[in-house]
Amino acid sequence: MAAIDIGIIVTIIMFVMVLVGMRVAFAAALSGMIGLIWIFWSKKGYAGDEFFWALTVAVKTAGQVPHSKIASQALSLIPTFILIGYLAYYAGLTKALFEAAKRWVGWLPGGLAVSTIFATAGFAAVSGASVATAAVFARIAIPEMISVGYNKKFAAGVVAAGGTLASMIPPSAILVIYAIIVEQDVGKLLLAGFIPGMVSALIYAALIVGLALTIPKFGPPVGGFSWRQRFAALPGALPIAFVIVIIIFFIYNPFGGDAWGTPTEGGALGAFVVFCMALWKGMRWTQLKDALLETAKLAVMIFTIIWGVLIYVRFLGFADLPGAFAEWITSLHQPPLMTLVMILLAYAVLGMFMDAIGMLLLTLPVVYPAVMALNGGEFVSAADSAFGMSGPMCAIWFGILVVKMAEFCLITPPIGLNCFVVAGVRDDLSVQDVFKGVAPFFIADAITIATLVALPQIVLWLPSQV
Amino acid sequence: MAGHAAVLEDDSLLSRLERTLFKLETLLALISGIAVFFLMVLAVISVGGRNFFNQPVPGYIDWIEQAMPLIAFMGIAYTQRLGGHIRMDMVIGTLSGRWLWAAEFVGTFLILVLMILLVWGSWAHFQRSFDWNAPLWSRDSSMDIALPLWPAKLLAPVAFSVLCVRLVLQLWGYGRAFVLGLVEPVAVPLVQSAAEQAAAEAETVSDGED
Amino acid sequence: TEWNVSVWGKRRAFTEHIEKLAELVSKKTNGEFTLNISYGGLSKNTENLDGISIGAFEMAQFCAGYHRDKNPTITVLELPFLGVSTLEQEREVSQALYKQPAVVKDLARWNATLLMPSPLPQYNFVGVGPAPTKLADFKGMAVRATGGIGQAMEKIGAVPTSMSATEVRQALDSGVVKAVAFAPHAHMAFGTIETGKWWTTNLNPGTVNCPVVVNTDALNALTDTEREALLGSVDEALDYYIDYYNNNTMKKWGPALDAHGIERITYSPEAIAAFKKEAAGPVAAAWIKEMSARGLPAQKLYDFVEAEIAKTAPN
Ligand code: NA
Ligand code: NA
Repeated sequence: MAAIDIGIIVTIIMFVMVLVGMRVAFAAALSGMIGLIWIFWSKKGYAGDEFFWALTVAVKTAGQVPHSKIASQALSLIPTFILIGYLAYYAGLTKALFEAAKRWVGWLPGGLAVSTIFATAGFAAVSGASVATAAVFARIAIPEMISVGYNKKFAAGVVAAGGTLASMIPPSAILVIYAIIVEQDVGKLLLAGFIPGMVSALIYAALIVGLALTIPKFGPPVGGFSWRQRFAALPGALPIAFVIVIIIFFIYNPFGGDAWGTPTEGGALGAFVVFCMALWKGMRWTQLKDALLETAKLAVMIFTIIWGVLIYVRFLGFADLPGAFAEWITSLHQPPLMTLVMILLAYAVLGMFMDAIGMLLLTLPVVYPAVMALNGGEFVSAADSAFGMSGPMCAIWFGILVVKMAEFCLITPPIGLNCFVVAGVRDDLSVQDVFKGVAPFFIADAITIATLVALPQIVLWLPSQV
Repeated sequence: MAGHAAVLEDDSLLSRLERTLFKLETLLALISGIAVFFLMVLAVISVGGRNFFNQPVPGYIDWIEQAMPLIAFMGIAYTQRLGGHIRMDMVIGTLSGRWLWAAEFVGTFLILVLMILLVWGSWAHFQRSFDWNAPLWSRDSSMDIALPLWPAKLLAPVAFSVLCVRLVLQLWGYGRAFVLGLVEPVAVPLVQSAAEQAAAEAETVSDGED
Repeated sequence: TEWNVSVWGKRRAFTEHIEKLAELVSKKTNGEFTLNISYGGLSKNTENLDGISIGAFEMAQFCAGYHRDKNPTITVLELPFLGVSTLEQEREVSQALYKQPAVVKDLARWNATLLMPSPLPQYNFVGVGPAPTKLADFKGMAVRATGGIGQAMEKIGAVPTSMSATEVRQALDSGVVKAVAFAPHAHMAFGTIETGKWWTTNLNPGTVNCPVVVNTDALNALTDTEREALLGSVDEALDYYIDYYNNNTMKKWGPALDAHGIERITYSPEAIAAFKKEAAGPVAAAWIKEMSARGLPAQKLYDFVEAEIAKTAPN
C-alpha cells in the first residue's frame, strides 16, 4: 500500500476515535503511532521478522516529539497568556471594566448590552481564553442587564458572544497555537488579531443598537453619568490599558524604532503587572496557588493536544498526505476564493460538534498547506497570487479567518461551549435559552467573516506595518 | 473542554490508593504552575537587564526551553485524574451503566498502551542525550550556555510513568464498575453533561473577589 | 531502494548539493535508487542525528554547532579565525577531517557515516541599530551566533543568543538580538537583510560546519551498484554546489545589500588582528582542554586541521 493511502486510512481512524469520545490528545498521538509503525513496516514489505524493527523505529520517532516540540520559546506564550487571565480576575479588573464601560457608553440605545460587549473586549486584551471571559462576565453583567429590564435570554447571549472576543484580541492562546502549527511569526499574527477583534466588537455593538432601535421595550439606556463620574471610573480599568500598551510595544513599536522585546516577554511583563495589582488587591497564597494550578491544568491540556497532534503530524510527514491534499485542492476547477469559502463553511459545520482548539489542531496540518497552495505557494509574491497577497500575508489572513470560525463555534449549537458556561453560571437559564439569546449574534459573526474575506486589508494592514 | 469531573471517594483500597496518587499529582501540577511563574519572573529580569543595564540574561532562551517540559508534562496525570483532557462526549455521553464502563475501559486501555510505548520512546530520547562518562553526563546540550538537556528530556518519561499508574487505577475503577454493575463508582472521573462541566468550570473563577 | 532525506527550511544554496545528489543517483540507477528529500517534515533540525541513529530516515543534514555534545570532534572546524578563505578550501579541509578515525568513531555513536560537507563562506553580521564601527561597540550587544563564532563574540563582550534560523527574523525585528551572523545565502533566505541596517564585510570570525550523513546500516544494505552511484556522485554534487554558491548566490549578494540600503562596515586590519588575538588562541585552547577531558585526541585534531588549512591555502 502506498504511503498516501496509509495516510488517509490513519486519518479516518483518528477522526473515528475522536468522534466516539476518545480524548483528543491521545487519539491523535495513537493514530500517529499506528501510522508510523505501519509506514515503517510497509518499507520492509510487512516481513514478519521486521515488525519489531518497525515498532522500535516508530516508538523512538514518536518518543522524540513531546520534548523536542514542547521545548520551544514560542510555546512559552501560552501559559503566560493563561496565567494573566486568572490573575486579572483576582485583580478585580472585570468589575472595574464593566463599570467604566457602563459610564461611558451606557447612554446608547441598548447601552448596558453595548457596555458588556466593550467590557468583554477590554478584558480580552488581558485574557487569552474565551471560556474564562464568558464565565466571569456572566456573573457581573447579566444581573445588571436583567435588573433594568433586558430580556434574560438576550442578556445571556450578549455575554456568550462577547466572551468569544478573547480568542481574537491579543493575547490569544488560539492564535499562538495556529502560529506554531503553521510555523509563522507569532508576533505578526497576534498583531493581526487586534483590528478584526475590534471590528467584531463594533459589529456586535452595532447589532445591539439596531435591535434596540427596532424592538420596543428592549432595555433602556443607562445615562446620567457626569464627566467627573466617567473619569473617576477610569483608574480602576487603567491597568488593562497599561497591559495592552506593554503587549503592543513588545510586538511592534508604533512610533518606529525597535519593539521593546518579544511577545513572550510582553505577555510575561503584562502578567507581572497584573500580578502586582492582584497582590495589592489582597490576593493571598491560597488564591495564587489556585491560579497556578488552574493555569497548569489548562496549559497541560493544551500542550498534550499539541504534542499528541504533532506525533500525528510527524507521521503525516512520512506519508506526505498534506502534499497530496494540497495537490487535489489546487486541481479543483473552480475559483480559489470559492474553495476558500467552502473550507470556511466546513469549519462552521465541524465547529458545531467540536472544541475549537481540537478542531484547529486536527485539521490545520492538512488544510493549511492546501490553502497556501491555493494562493500560489508559501513563497508566492502578491502579484502572482490567487488572493492578491504574498505567502506570509496569506498565512496571517487565513489564521484570522479560522480563529474567527473557532470563535463562532463557541456559540453555535449543539456544542457551543460559551453558551454552556453562561448557562452553568446562571441557574435560572437553560442552555437552550442561551442559544436562543445568542442567535442574533450569528448574523453579526457572518457579517464579520464576510467583511474579513472581502476586505483582507482589515487583517493585513497592521502586520504589514512591521 | 477542561473541567472538574467528579471523582467519588470511599474507604476502599482503590480509593485510598487513588487519593495518595492524587497528592503526588497535585504536587507535580503545582511545580508546573510555579514554572509558569518562574517564566514570568525570568522575562521581567531579561527585559530589565537588556533595557536598563545593557546586559541581556545569558542563555535566556536556553532557560525557557528547559522550563517548558516542566510546564507541559508534570501536570499530565493530574489533568487526567480530573478528566481535564478534552474529548467529544456526544457519543459516549449517551451510554450508561455497563456499556459506559466498558467503553471507558477500552478507551483508557488504549491510552495506557500508547503511554507505555511513549515511556519507552521518550526514555530512549533521554538516553541518547545521557552519557555516564561525559562531563555533566551530557551528550546533548543547549546552544548558548551548553546546559545539559537530559534533565528536561527525562521529565517526559517520568511524567508519563505517573500517568500510566493513574491509568492503571482508572482501569481498575472502570473494570470494577463493569463487573459489579455500579452506578457511581469511585476513583474514576464521572462523565458530566456539558452543562455540569461548564458549571464546574465557572466555579473555578467564582471564589475570587465577589 | 527509496531513501528519506531530512533537511530543513526551504530549498536554497545550502541544500543544492543534496538536490543534485538525488538527481545524479536516480539517473545513474535508472530510477532504482531514489532520494526523497523532505524539508522539515521528518524531524526537527537539531534532532536529525537522533533520527539517523533510530533509523527513521537514511540521510540528513545538520550543523555541528546546534549540539556540540553530540558531535564534539567536528566542532573543531567551527573554531574562530581558522583562516579558511574559500569554499573549495573549506570543502577539502572538511573532507580530510571527516576521514580521521576519531571523527568516524564520534559519528559512529549515532550509527552515522559522514558523506559530504556543506561548505559555507565566512560568517558576517547583519544588524539593526547604531552600526558598530569599532569592535568595542559589540559590548553588551545580543547577537545570534552559534558555536565558535558565538564564543569569539563573547570575548569582545557580545552576548550570544541562539534560536533556530526560522525565528531569527522576528528576533531581529523585535530587538531580542541586534545582529545576526550568517552566511550570505542565509541572510537572504531568512530575511535579515530586509530589516538590517548594516553588514560587517570583513569580520570573518569563522563559519559553521554542516555535514550530510547517512545511516550506516542503510549504506551497507545498498547493492554495490547503488552504493557506487551514491558515493561516486558526491564530488560532482559538491562541484555543482560550490559553483552555484559562487556564481549564483554571491552574485546576488552585493546588489541585495544595495537594494536594501545596507551600510557596509569594514574594520581596519589592526582591529581584526586584535580581535583574532583575543579570540582565536583562547577559544582554541579552551576547546582543546574541554575535548581532551572527554578523552578525545583534541590536540591532534586541531593540529591536523591547521596543517590541512596550510596545505590547501590558495595562492
Ligand atoms: Na485575548
Ligand atoms: Na459549537
